[in-house]
Parts: sequence; structure tokens; C-alpha cells
Amino acid sequence: MNHFALTIVGRDRAGIVSQVTKILFDLGCNIADSSCSILGGQFAMILILGHPELTDRDSFGEAFKPLEDSDLSVSLRVLKPGGEIRSNIFGDICMISVYGSDKPGIVYRVAQVLGEKNINITDLNTKLVGSDERPVYVMVIEAVLPENVEEEDVDGWLTPIRNDLQVDITVRTIPTVEL
Amino acid sequence: MAVRPILLYPDPILKQVAIQVEAVDEPTVAVIQDLVDTMLDSGHSVGVAAPQIGDLIRVVVVDVSKSKLGKDNNHGLLEMVNPEIIEKSGSKMMREGCMSIPDYTGNVTRAEHIVVEFTDRAGQLRVIEASGFESVAIQHELDHLDGMLFLDRVSSLKTDLYRRKSK
Repeated sequence: MNHFALTIVGRDRAGIVSQVTKILFDLGCNIADSSCSILGGQFAMILILGHPELTDRDSFGEAFKPLEDSDLSVSLRVLKPGGEIRSNIFGDICMISVYGSDKPGIVYRVAQVLGEKNINITDLNTKLVGSDERPVYVMVIEAVLPENVEEEDVDGWLTPIRNDLQVDITVRTIPTVEL
Repeated sequence: MAVRPILLYPDPILKQVAIQVEAVDEPTVAVIQDLVDTMLDSGHSVGVAAPQIGDLIRVVVVDVSKSKLGKDNNHGLLEMVNPEIIEKSGSKMMREGCMSIPDYTGNVTRAEHIVVEFTDRAGQLRVIEASGFESVAIQHELDHLDGMLFLDRVSSLKTDLYRRKSK
């Protein structure tokens, strides 16, 4: 099985998922992993595909042309063998909420701290909410804490950002339990 | 007394509603004992429901007293026949895993405090108040009696479904 990463972005409307997945179904592609969401006025799809025969971009031929004709941007990345397999990330799962009046640097400053401390971000979402006069920036991060890093450590490392950017930050780990 | 294999999804029994126990008789006690043996044998489990070992009756066992999260707040070994939650309050999120769905965990929000009524192994009606991890564990096991898996309660695959820390 060969694997590909397909991304599709375009002005949101009803029917995009159906249009895309019909093409994939007709090609005989497996959707191994996917995430699709509205971002701003755009609908964005990211899919990891598997196919037993197709090997490169050319082998898909003109399959995606109807999507481009309907004003969707399509990009296909050919994965190296094993590129479809998620590496096991071990550690406590930690949710970090950051919010405050909108200003430059909120995402970067938080990501910089996490990166420096070798904390792997596994999910990140941002939204601009509030009114036009008082926009509020909200970011929610899911991260995996390396061994020997505790919730309190992360909380402490983020404190300078609280003060510099006047944002509220909460850090909480979610205990993993087997029942 | 026997350690029984845990049924794995997509075994259809896991999606069925278990039936009420009429009396805590010898066969029921045998199921209770098998559940306890199976739970202890797994080493890390804090609860098992009868449907997970293939018996479609309303019986679960829960014991969080040996786990890090539950050791300070628990009722020890609970053997529950026809358990019913009669009060719920608060909410608590945990990342749950289930022996019937190996290798995956999901964030589930459940009540932080519950009052649960059940018949014990001796046939006595009991009412207990549970909170924290014990409350979550009881609710997870009781879901099995109604054919509910934690997958029915996660809100989003993207952020909620992750490989478990360790086996």
C-alpha cells in the first residue's frame, strides 16, 4: 500500500466532502486518517490516503481536475514508506487554554516555550471571538508532557507570557485511565 | 472461579442491553466471582462488567482502591447487581481506555459525584455515594450494561482518540 497526504481548501459550501470522497472512492483510495474543518470562510480537508497501485502524483491523472474546476485548491504529497504511521507518543496529556484581547505573538510565544521544553503539540486550535470592538483571541492546545515534566512546571514556564501579553492561561492534565 | 477472556469490539454482545437479575443466586454469584478474578488477573483493571465476559446480565465489579487516582477515595471492592444511578452532579473529564477496545483512549466527561443503588453479593440493597475516579469507573462499567462504549461518548476523534500510554 502506498500512502499520500491530500489537502483540499476552498470557499465553504455544502457538498465538498461528497464531491471529494466520490473521487477517492472511484479511484479505490482508502482514507486512513482525516481531519476536515471550517477555518474562516474556507473548508479545509487533510486526508492520509492509501492505495495499492497508485505510486506518484502522475498516476492520479486528471482525477482531481473537477475539484480544481470548482475552485478548490488541491495538493497531493507522496509519503515515504512508514510516513502514514503515527509514532507512539508517551506521556501525560495536557490541555492548555490561552485567551485574552487580541494581540500579535500569542501563538508564537506559547509555542516557543513548549518547543524549547520539548513538549509535543498534538492538537492546536485558535479562534477570534468576541465583538468587533473587543476581539478576544482563544487558543486551545493539546500537548504531551515528556517524562519528569508536570502540569505545574508548564504553568510556571508560561507565566512570563501571562504578564507580557496580558492573557489568561490555564494548564490541566487529563489523567489516562483503563477501565 | 475463573479468569474469563474479555470480549473485544466488534463482538455484538458489547452493544446489547443486559437483563435485570431476578435473584442473587448461585449462578449470579459465580459471575460475580469470575468478574473479580478477571479484573484481578488483568493487573491494572479497576472494573469489569458482565457483558465484557459474555454474560448479558446487569452485574459489574469495580475496585479503584489499588490505583493511584482512587486509593484515597473509594469503597474498596464493589460487587454490584442491578446497579442504578439515582443522583448525579458535577462533571469530570478523564481520558478513558477500555479492555474491550485495546490501544485507544478518548476524553469522556462524566458526573463527578453519583449516588448509586445496587444489590450486593449477599443480596443486600445498598446505596453509596461515590466521587472522583471511583464515580467515573462506576459510570463506565454501568454503560456496558446498556451496550454503551466510551466511543459513544467522545466528542471528536481528532482531539479525543489517542493511543494509550502503555499496555
